[in-house]
Amino acid sequence: MSNKMSRRKFLKVVAGSGVLGFGVMASGCKGKPSGGDGWVSSQYEGKGDFPVNLKGRVAISATNPSIERDDEKCILCGQCVDACKNVMGVYGNYPLPLKQEIACVGCGQCVMQCPSGAITEKSHVRKVLDALDDDTKHVVVQTAPATKVSLGEEFGMPQGTSVGKKMAGALKAAGFDSVFDTCFAADLTIMEEASEFVHRLTKKKDEIPHLTSCCPGWVKYCEYFYPELMHNLSTCKSPQNMLGATIKSFYADKMGINPSNIVNVSIMPCTAKKFEVGREELEVDGQQDMDYVLTTRELAVLLKHKGIDLNTVAEAEYDSVLGESTGAGRIFGATGGVTEAAVRTAYYLATGSNPPADLLDWKPIRGMQSVKEAVASIPGVGAVNIAVCHGLENARQLLEGIKATGSSKWQFIEFMACPGGCIGGGGQPKSMDAVEAKKKRIEAIYKEDTGAAKRCSHDNAEIQSIYKDFFGKPLSEKAEKYLHTTFVNRHDRLFD
Amino acid sequence: MAVLVDITKCIGCEGCTVACKRYNNLNFKAKPRNVKDDGNVELDDNRWTVIQEFHGEKNDKLRFVKKQCLHCKEPACASACFSKAIQKDEKTGAVVYYPDLCVGCRYCLVACPYSIPKYQWNEQFPQVSKCQMCSERVSKGDAPACVSACTTGALMSGDRDELLKKAHEIINSDSRYINHVYGEHEVGGAEWLYISDVPFEELGFKDVSNVPVTSYTKSYLSKVPGLAACWALFLSGIAFYNYRVDKNRNQIHDPHDNDDQDKEG
Repeated sequence: MSNKMSRRKFLKVVAGSGVLGFGVMASGCKGKPSGGDGWVSSQYEGKGDFPVNLKGRVAISATNPSIERDDEKCILCGQCVDACKNVMGVYGNYPLPLKQEIACVGCGQCVMQCPSGAITEKSHVRKVLDALDDDTKHVVVQTAPATKVSLGEEFGMPQGTSVGKKMAGALKAAGFDSVFDTCFAADLTIMEEASEFVHRLTKKKDEIPHLTSCCPGWVKYCEYFYPELMHNLSTCKSPQNMLGATIKSFYADKMGINPSNIVNVSIMPCTAKKFEVGREELEVDGQQDMDYVLTTRELAVLLKHKGIDLNTVAEAEYDSVLGESTGAGRIFGATGGVTEAAVRTAYYLATGSNPPADLLDWKPIRGMQSVKEAVASIPGVGAVNIAVCHGLENARQLLEGIKATGSSKWQFIEFMACPGGCIGGGGQPKSMDAVEAKKKRIEAIYKEDTGAAKRCSHDNAEIQSIYKDFFGKPLSEKAEKYLHTTFVNRHDRLFD
Repeated sequence: MAVLVDITKCIGCEGCTVACKRYNNLNFKAKPRNVKDDGNVELDDNRWTVIQEFHGEKNDKLRFVKKQCLHCKEPACASACFSKAIQKDEKTGAVVYYPDLCVGCRYCLVACPYSIPKYQWNEQFPQVSKCQMCSERVSKGDAPACVSACTTGALMSGDRDELLKKAHEIINSDSRYINHVYGEHEVGGAEWLYISDVPFEELGFKDVSNVPVTSYTKSYLSKVPGLAACWALFLSGIAFYNYRVDKNRNQIHDPHDNDDQDKEG
């Protein structure tokens, strides 16, 4: 015990270290200040006033139903601002100070552009898995046209592989009770929308130009920035919600299932759909049309979680009654597709015969050009001027032009929020060469159209039967109840 | 170096908080330690700056307020710190914390009129944590990390006098602004200045007096060193006197005294 410390020695050490500490402090030594041992992205080095093209990030509210962000992964690269401002025309197009909310149309293009994977969709995977495990629930799923040509990429297949039947098989293997096709609902949408367009052309000319409304990103954009054009929007619900409402009414009746026990899930290329399903205007009889939306990426996660490999899963057909689709319904996923499908049926509605071959392969409105124009000559109606626009910044410029001149030279304008249409949606698989991927997916979609036995929505036998059995005819009272909607003016949430 | 925050321009992207965490190597995974009743997160040891959300009475004025150390001109935390672990950097104006000098007493937490300094309660050898105004970047002439990451121009850095001039110019040119630059006079003034179109009380700003906290104690605390020296001198005098008395008595009664002590022992 030679190192045993006496009380005197202990006090000496304490007092000594105190004196030493006081000496260090008094002499001005201070060591390193805390902080400053991390890093910041290179564009923030220097004085911070170097004119970089990209910096910062977009604001994402905690209550945003479509997207969320993991701050730990954010590197402040500024790519999301680029997407939001230059591609979608949202960021920077509203005045500051803010009024009621952070403007977001939920398109998810920031998700696609985010290089570090910080921004993602708000996942519904867990909720869908829970619903699948719940025996009291009848879980119905529908798949959007654009997901059929992109899901394969998540399983290592080449870009532009059509996997519709494999996806149907995989969804059945995953335990969904019925697998329906949103392409069927697209045909239904075309029946309603083409009828509405012909009606507007001939009787309600103040609602021309007719603006499409199947893209929830565009619809919210219109509500935010162009409320004066809301009465020009087609009152048709999007195909997803038309099918949702049909499932909870027609299908529930037919199968004898209580609609409140049905869980409607959709596989969408889109994050804005997650916002759309929560819209109160879309409720029928106090029920939401749709319950959960999975993006293409989320479906891949769910299938992998269930141990299902799309490469090896058995193919299956979509379930009947709401599963047949025509080429017209399948091209909804590409920019110009809705227009082409609508014109095919409008031609039929006006003339009573199917359109000529050039309208079945309508080149001017296909492709990635930002605004495409075409004229459709429909006997009895005349020449219809049509524009197709994708990317909301392009839409903004086009609409500003219409606002400036006070009139539109087009009678029908298709808007898709995402560049390329749904095939380029914010819920699609990410890839290193996004431009090439979009091209391949569009090619695959048109290949499905040309390969289809029926090319026009009105030829769809299941569509004909559902009108006969349930809706009566397009724009009937029942169709208005289940398949049409209203819009909400959101202008004063951003502007004074 | 000062920063002017124009609250009307903030869109709540929280890029500044990410830049702060990255530059200062703070833990992103740490759960917020202090969440207020209105849902806003308060500063803690891994959040040197936070963005707080306010909605206005009629839910028509969505405002985001950046909160961090205001870097007072006369910092109460620094005056409370007896080990000089918090010092005001004269060149940059930043109120800087030096962990090597800190003894962990947490007087600074109590002293701060804005409750800014936080403590690393989870660490074995904890430190105080607070915004350093990126003192190393600023001393090189760079802007603080948060300022350089701001996309909308809500944060501006520069000379304090020039920013004050600018703040008053903005207020005078736009009638929507409140005629008050928060931080110009608050507890003697701060390096961080705020302008807003919503009254500051509604945005969680504390209504503090314009008198520097340090001035309350300066008049007598400044006399402490002299008093301490006098007291030490006085005690030394008494000790010396007693020693002399003892010594003189021992010289007279030396043998008996020793006998007495032996007996008692």
